[in-house]
Amino acid sequence: MKLYQLVAKDALRRRRRLLYSALGVAVGVAVVIVVLTISKAGGDKIYMELDKYGANLMVRPAIQDVELHLGDLDLGNLFIGENYIEQSTLPQIRELTDGAIREWMGSSINIPEGENISTIAPQLYITTKIGGVSVVVVGIDPDSERVIKSWWEVDGEYPEQPDEAIVGQAAAGSLQISVGDTLSIENETVRVVGIIAETGSDDDYQIYLPLATVQRIFHKEGLLSSTDIRALCNACPVEVIADSINSNMLGVRAVAIKQIANNEMNVIDKMNNFMRILAGITLLIGAFGVINTMLSSVHDRIRDIGIMKAVGASRSQVVRMFLYEAVVIGLIGGVIGYGVGTLLSYLVGPLVLEGVNIAYVLDYLPAALGIAIAIAVVASVYPAFRASQIKVADSIRSI
Amino acid sequence: MLQVKNVWKVYGKGVSKVIALNNVDIRLNDGDFIAITGPSGSGKTTLLNVMGGLDSISKGKIFLDGLRIDNLSEGRFVDIRRKRMAYVFQQYHLIPSLTALENVLLPLTFGGVGKSGPRRAMQMLKKVGLAQRAKHKPSQLSGGEQQRVAIARALVNNCSLILADEPTGNLDQKTGAEIIKLFEKLNGDGYTIAMVTHNPDIARHAKRIIVMEDGRIVNEITQS
Repeated sequence: MKLYQLVAKDALRRRRRLLYSALGVAVGVAVVIVVLTISKAGGDKIYMELDKYGANLMVRPAIQDVELHLGDLDLGNLFIGENYIEQSTLPQIRELTDGAIREWMGSSINIPEGENISTIAPQLYITTKIGGVSVVVVGIDPDSERVIKSWWEVDGEYPEQPDEAIVGQAAAGSLQISVGDTLSIENETVRVVGIIAETGSDDDYQIYLPLATVQRIFHKEGLLSSTDIRALCNACPVEVIADSINSNMLGVRAVAIKQIANNEMNVIDKMNNFMRILAGITLLIGAFGVINTMLSSVHDRIRDIGIMKAVGASRSQVVRMFLYEAVVIGLIGGVIGYGVGTLLSYLVGPLVLEGVNIAYVLDYLPAALGIAIAIAVVASVYPAFRASQIKVADSIRSI
Repeated sequence: MLQVKNVWKVYGKGVSKVIALNNVDIRLNDGDFIAITGPSGSGKTTLLNVMGGLDSISKGKIFLDGLRIDNLSEGRFVDIRRKRMAYVFQQYHLIPSLTALENVLLPLTFGGVGKSGPRRAMQMLKKVGLAQRAKHKPSQLSGGEQQRVAIARALVNNCSLILADEPTGNLDQKTGAEIIKLFEKLNGDGYTIAMVTHNPDIARHAKRIIVMEDGRIVNEITQS
């Protein structure tokens, strides 16, 4: 018979008391699991919303806005710089973006070297009139735009030929055009192949044509108004990418669009911090529960411990027996805590974060067991020490 | 084998001071079988406890085969409990969650005896006539059977010295007589036995009777 078998037999005999102890630990662990599960679901939700924003970054011409003053007199703003980005800078933008992502993510990135990590969507905006109506014509790369603006619902096709256009809902209404109609832009005839369903944004008022067509029609060859960048990863370091572009390239200004989502993330972080403190307090209470149960277990077993010492148990063996018992308490508490915590997350999650999609995370089970065992073992050290100090003669006299 | 020299055991201080052992001298030779007897509170159990290192002494010395044991650390005494001396108690003191066999196995578990443990434990149960009750829990055994299991547990480590505190105290006369016969047999097999009893009929079975009163040895009778 091994020491752990002896503990197991004794644990079975005192299973009810052991279960009470385990429940104390389980409550703490359950709260931790609730915090982790809801916080993960909240984070996932934000990243999903982030995806809806499309681009993570926008690169614009670096127009410097200088405020002019004469004494106390405000003379207004002076804009310095070009209104366009050279199209030839796109490879450098891509290189800097992908490089920054690879450096940040390290080995966790599973996109092979040489393949694109980010989607780069160049745009050229031109204001013009069609049939007397003022419209904005946007030159795009249809494939990239499709990735960046994944929420677009196009009735018809995306442009494939140089003379094909898709039109925003509002613009189509103003111009009274539908799929299959033609438009005359600066004496060039283009065919409408798709209408974009209403998006509620500026996109509704714009006409989209292949970039090269717009550049040619308006004599802006090699020029872009802006470039949207969407990194194909959730945790991409957009600020780092923006910094990298801004410090390495002249004439452009990269802005991280993720800022908005970060604010939302900050709120979740604050809530998580509060819940973490709550979980810590609950764990502490659980630990005191274990100390209490263990001390009363020592008291109940003074006789047994005395007998064991009388027949040859050493102090360290007595300590080990209590710590093995703590591991059993931790295992039971961890499993119960994980189960209850996950269930609670499903119940409480939608109340805490509206529209959140709670999913159980099996990876948290080892964490739950680890926390529970650690709490139970730490809480058992003092009772185990007390048990090891029991004197045989005292224990026998106590009967 | 075991020598107790000028041993004092004092509990408390001042007015609440109790002298449990008062300058006790006793020598236990190999193969001895002594009965320590006397009225309640005479110090006989205290004497057995200090002989077995279960309790500390206030003054004096105790030697086991020439080694002074009264000042040993608990860690070093563990080794003596595992190899040299074993205890049998009045209340049997078996672990209720373990079977008879597992209770006998307990000293071997703590002593780190591996695979041969269960076989040895079973042999000891046979020796005390309880092989057929090996799988029974203490609650399923009679008082006499429990005491036999406790004796088997004392024997399993091959300790040559057995210290028994009122081993028949909780048993009826017939069962008590069976237990004392078992002790006589063990003594015949070479075990050295020191037994505390308040029962003169039981004490008669020992080779020597030590009579105590108020913490002192007042008489010593060697039986023929």
